[in-house]
Amino acid sequence: MIGTKLACRDRKGTSRKGKSYFIKSVMHGECNGCSLQMDEVLASVAEKIKNFAVIYVVDITEVPEFNTMYELYDPSTVMFFFRNKHIMIDLGTGNNNKINWALKDKQEFIDIVKTVYRGARKGRGLVIAPKDYSTKYRY
Amino acid sequence: MEEDIDGDLADIETLNYDDLDSVSKLQKSQRYIDIMQKVEDALEKGSHISNQGMVLEDDPEYQLIVDCNGLSVDIENEIVIIHNFIRDKYRLKFPELESLVHHPIDYARVVKKIGNEMDLTLVDLEGLLPSAIIMVVSVTASTTSGKPLPEDVLQKTVDACDRALALDTAKKKVLEFVESRMGYIAPNLSTIVGSAVAAKLMGTAGGLSALAKMPACNVQLLGAKKKTLAGFSTATSQFRVGYIEQTEIFQTTPPALRSRACRLLASKATLAARIDSTRGDPLGNAGKTLKEEIHKKIEKWQEPPPAKQPKPLPVPDSEPKKKRGGRRLRKMKERYAITDMRKLANRMQFGVPEESSLGDGLGEGYGMLGQAGSGKLRVSIGQSKLAAKVAKKFKEKNYGSSGATSGLTSSLAFTPVQGIELTNPQAHAHQLGSGTQSTYFSETGTFSKIKRT
Repeated sequence: MIGTKLACRDRKGTSRKGKSYFIKSVMHGECNGCSLQMDEVLASVAEKIKNFAVIYVVDITEVPEFNTMYELYDPSTVMFFFRNKHIMIDLGTGNNNKINWALKDKQEFIDIVKTVYRGARKGRGLVIAPKDYSTKYRY
Repeated sequence: MEEDIDGDLADIETLNYDDLDSVSKLQKSQRYIDIMQKVEDALEKGSHISNQGMVLEDDPEYQLIVDCNGLSVDIENEIVIIHNFIRDKYRLKFPELESLVHHPIDYARVVKKIGNEMDLTLVDLEGLLPSAIIMVVSVTASTTSGKPLPEDVLQKTVDACDRALALDTAKKKVLEFVESRMGYIAPNLSTIVGSAVAAKLMGTAGGLSALAKMPACNVQLLGAKKKTLAGFSTATSQFRVGYIEQTEIFQTTPPALRSRACRLLASKATLAARIDSTRGDPLGNAGKTLKEEIHKKIEKWQEPPPAKQPKPLPVPDSEPKKKRGGRRLRKMKERYAITDMRKLANRMQFGVPEESSLGDGLGEGYGMLGQAGSGKLRVSIGQSKLAAKVAKKFKEKNYGSSGATSGLTSSLAFTPVQGIELTNPQAHAHQLGSGTQSTYFSETGTFSKIKRT
């Protein structure tokens, strides 16, 4: 955790070589199901996508500098960055900046990452996610 | 020596079957007797390995061994000749036996045991043959078309059997002798395959230099049994393995790797034989290294395959899609390509308003289609490739029109009574001259005779 945190503090603000990276923020002490599930998905996906994406886990209670800037107050948040630029994703939820909830499906997540990578390489600041999450709360 | 062989061949040609001696001369020949005597002496004496200093060719023992090799080949040929002799004589009594028992020596033993018996239940073949074959033989004997032999023929046959068996024992003795000396003659070869198998290989090949001249694939097949009995499963019979099968290395390899091991052994054995024939390594070190090599290779084959690593995904869009080209693809694309009509409809002339389906700018626009300025006088739909294919399929599924209908007939018929109706094309053919249709323009109509009224 510390290692990744330090690495993250370095990376945030420095330009990356060309890989996209995304940062997951964790609220310290809040080991609820939502966060753990997302963690598991990320951990299992990390090896597969290592050719084009890096995952960083950040504990926002230990690194609170970016909390106001990115509005980090959900149990688990995933944001995407490419060459130090924040990439927005149109998920249908209304919030294009991040993924606030726990994704269950690994393949879905990989698809999102691929879409972000493709779009970001072309220079787009906003990409459209392959799946729509506007109904994720399923009334 | 040469005359013996020629004599035998000449005798085969004269086909003097009554006298065994005219057919098989080897046992009476001087050479045979000499060599057998020497072999017996040498076997009694035991080996003496004090001949290191002498050149191999001068050593009388080596000469004897060379002779032995030649003799064993001759004995083998002789056995075949005698086998043919026995078979020809015994055919009158029991013709099927030769196809049931292939091995000449076994055949001779069986013939000797059965003699002139017609009832095989009185004959005990236990120990001579495998029990399955005994059973087959007994069954066949009960239905055989043979008759008992006359006494003198029987006697000759039994004599021939005795001679064959005697030759067989002689050959075994010779082999035994050669085997005991094998470590001295061909140390490298014996290290790899063992002295017994080495002796057999040499014996079958006809000498060490003959063995060395053979390609490895032939060495693999030396001593291979040719036929398996009809009716028995060939699943277990090993394919293309000869004396090599009896080597220790072969026996200790797992069955799955046996054919590969056989090939490997044969090739290394050939190499060793070549080294030995030129006396390149009298101490047998080359043989040892070859044997080590063989062991290592067999070990390696038995290693499990490397574990499968999960592969990470490739970078998206880094590998361009493999586009295909060629005539087939072009033809396929043609079927869905934009037609000329559609092209014209897509374009518009400058300053000229286009016509539209609902008129007045509403509905689908027709573009340059049908306008004065377009280069074409008339635009036809043209034969769309897709439509052509569909039409072909449709026609094949057609409602089975008989041969009388031409390609231009339509299944629809206009009748004044009901309007449009579908007609059966077969019925159509019969309705000539009916009030509904004029036969004047009918495509299916035949010549009709119009009576003068």
